[in-house]
Amino acid sequence: MLSRAEVLAWLAQYPKFEDTVLSLPYAPRMPKAMVKDTMEVIAMARKFNREVARPLALPLDRKTHEDPDYMPWDLVETANKWGLYTMWIPKLFGGKGYNMPSMSHFVEEVGSVCLGIANVIGVHYLGVAGVMSSANVRLTKKIVDDVIEGERTGKPCLIALAITEPSAGTDVEEVELEDKGKVTCHARKVKGGYIINGTKVFISMGHMSTWTVLYAFTDLKKPSETSVALMVKTGMKGFSFGTHENKMGQRACPASVLTFEECFIPDELVLFDAEKARKITNKPLKDVNQRYIDYVVSATRPGVCAFGTGAARGAYEAALKYASTTQVNGKLLINNEWVQALLAEMYKNVALGRLAYMEANYANSHRGIYQMLQLKPFFYYYRFMPASYFKNVIAKTLDKEYMSTFMGRVYYDWSRSHDQNCCSGWASLAKFAGTDIGVRNCQLALELMGSSGLRQDTGVEKVLRDAKLLQIYEGTNQLNRLNLFKCLIAPAVAQAKCFEE
Amino acid sequence: MLTAFRKDLVPFEELARSFAAKELVKKVEEHDRYPFGKFFDNVLERAHEVGFLGIMLAEDQGGISGGIGALCVILDAVCRVDSSLGGIIFANALSQEIMRAAGAHQAAKKIFSKATSARGFLVACPAYIDPAQVSSLPKETKSGKDYILTGSLELLVLGSLASWAVIPARLGATGPYSLFLVDLGSKGIEKSEPVFTLGLHACPAVDITLAKVKSQLLGEVGRGREYFSSASMAMHIAAAAMNAGIMKGSLDEALAYAKERQQGGCEIINWSEVSMILANMGIKTHVADLCVSQACHAYETDSKQWGRHGLAASLHVHEIACDVVTDGIQVLGGNGYMKDYGQEKRYRDARQVQALLGTAPMKKIGLIRELAGLEEACSYAL
Repeated sequence: MLSRAEVLAWLAQYPKFEDTVLSLPYAPRMPKAMVKDTMEVIAMARKFNREVARPLALPLDRKTHEDPDYMPWDLVETANKWGLYTMWIPKLFGGKGYNMPSMSHFVEEVGSVCLGIANVIGVHYLGVAGVMSSANVRLTKKIVDDVIEGERTGKPCLIALAITEPSAGTDVEEVELEDKGKVTCHARKVKGGYIINGTKVFISMGHMSTWTVLYAFTDLKKPSETSVALMVKTGMKGFSFGTHENKMGQRACPASVLTFEECFIPDELVLFDAEKARKITNKPLKDVNQRYIDYVVSATRPGVCAFGTGAARGAYEAALKYASTTQVNGKLLINNEWVQALLAEMYKNVALGRLAYMEANYANSHRGIYQMLQLKPFFYYYRFMPASYFKNVIAKTLDKEYMSTFMGRVYYDWSRSHDQNCCSGWASLAKFAGTDIGVRNCQLALELMGSSGLRQDTGVEKVLRDAKLLQIYEGTNQLNRLNLFKCLIAPAVAQAKCFEE
Repeated sequence: MLTAFRKDLVPFEELARSFAAKELVKKVEEHDRYPFGKFFDNVLERAHEVGFLGIMLAEDQGGISGGIGALCVILDAVCRVDSSLGGIIFANALSQEIMRAAGAHQAAKKIFSKATSARGFLVACPAYIDPAQVSSLPKETKSGKDYILTGSLELLVLGSLASWAVIPARLGATGPYSLFLVDLGSKGIEKSEPVFTLGLHACPAVDITLAKVKSQLLGEVGRGREYFSSASMAMHIAAAAMNAGIMKGSLDEALAYAKERQQGGCEIINWSEVSMILANMGIKTHVADLCVSQACHAYETDSKQWGRHGLAASLHVHEIACDVVTDGIQVLGGNGYMKDYGQEKRYRDARQVQALLGTAPMKKIGLIRELAGLEEACSYAL
């Protein structure tokens, strides 16, 4: 038999055990209450589907074709009434504090009915991740307070994230490419804040959000070392919306063009810049920039996988219903073995998508951005301390600079780069795996259903239109494959170079 | 490709290309807004004027007897720009081919020779189904010399534009079906608004209900499957030509974008991952072209088993077309997903074209049963 030391030595060889079999070591460490929470979240999603999403999905899609400028304000108000915009905000900040991985299950459920509606809810948390990953606790508290107040008053307060630019999509998702790209969103430091000039495109829910996390650069020739993240409030002078993008699918969730012309943003709305980074970490700004992007996308790409899984499931469920009710040559389709094999293939795709986002979420829960929330002592602390404790005691400390410094140390100094690679690599794996199977299942469903699948009123063609976007946003699937290589393969190959072609 | 060894088809190709450049290129997105925008009647009228609505039709019936080669060359060039018009040309040609197979020359002459407008030249048909596989076709009954149809049919292509339609119907719940010519202005017919579908938005289809509608039998009772199969064997190749054109359009736009768009400091075509996607698109597009050309050749030279060749070629072309148009969006990234570019329309249209003449899996099963000798040959020589 092997000694403990030998076992560890063998497991440390590439591929490392800890990077390849995440659920095996981490599932037993998961707080049991997370299972109960997740079950409740899934049940709530199914209730939401029956009462809101399913009746609305197709009429809303049709309405946006009739009127391409339509904005789904009613839907946002309904989601706000259901409390969906604070569900995954930590109790520390006054939210409901449901565990982060449960959001993936939620978006799979709602996404199986309508990806656009799921994104009207889910993309708000991309904004939340953009705020929280900055380690700026004071500003996070301020913004999140607005979201919570919006829920209380019935006036929704959503957060959008603005990174993509007209000439830079992939380039701004990867620090190694930023300096080679053509970024144009400029932040000029002036007394008391920054002046912003530039344009952001494809910003999901931009028109409908109160706050936008804006990513800009003080030196457009060296963006990787001069990034600035700021909070911009809709209505601020110099900030306007351009056109509402005319997309093929996910039309319930508008995408916006954001224009900044001499827009002044005061220092108190700066999430991070060179000066703030210096106060909270010893790392150079380029590393902070990369880590910040990694935190955001590591948290959100498994969610995109869950959207893809939802698409795969929506297509599968439509195919199953069709096969169960349609006769060809006098025989129900479902009683043909080729159809049973096809449905099994589609079911398999859904299951693999779900497993992929769960593995990526295990990485985030134990070695990434959620670990401060999901490790047992922290989890039960947040769970059992009353809301009034967080409101009356903890909230007062969140304004203090030492809290941001502490979070900065946790996020940027004390985290291991190996863990960062694991989280980022697995997030990319989940993202392109889940979204590819989403589109694949749509294709299989359409082929099975023939003319029935073509009709907008049967729903499956809409899933095909909606699902394609998933292969593009949150980094194209091509970028995500390269990121997986960079994070999970290249570290074991000394001669491998990334993004240097 | 087809015109490389069929020089007689060059004028058709040139005509279709210049037509597409003049009438379609600048208004693809506008035309695609239908049924929420205006229908492109003027384009349809121009297509009729140049003969696109009667390419396969005999000259004495008002057509140009161009044959499958001419139809494929025209569909390829038109669909490279806007496949909705291609869908209209296809559906009308299918109706004409069904009438030809059924020997309904007098009826065809009556409709097409006397048509004074494009709409008058159109005959609707349920182009997305193989009627033999549909269990709920309208029912036919005989009253004296007349045939009476009752029931409903989904996605009757051109139903909102045409005055006439080819409608399949059965005597009972099962068994062979017959084909009928129905005057869409008849009492007892109800048509839905144009159905909003995945693609080919400007090639409208409607759901239709028939309540005791008098109709004219095409050919003989119970031989609908033969007529449809005969017509569809040629039309499978035409559908493949549509998707071959869509693939070319997708490759054109992806290449142009990749040479222009910069990422990471250089044009994205210089990133080998993008080059590989483009290479795969190019290979599949050329293969599609070859498939269509050879299938046309087999059909026109009446080679042995041309029907199988045509069906196999079309199944393969549709499958690779769906891959190509998906990658076509991917090369353009977020821009490819927007209606400002043509790729998202091709992504939708290619799947819609794939569904023409019945579902892909049933076509595959039909092909293998015929190859194995378990069913009668699908290449009816009528």
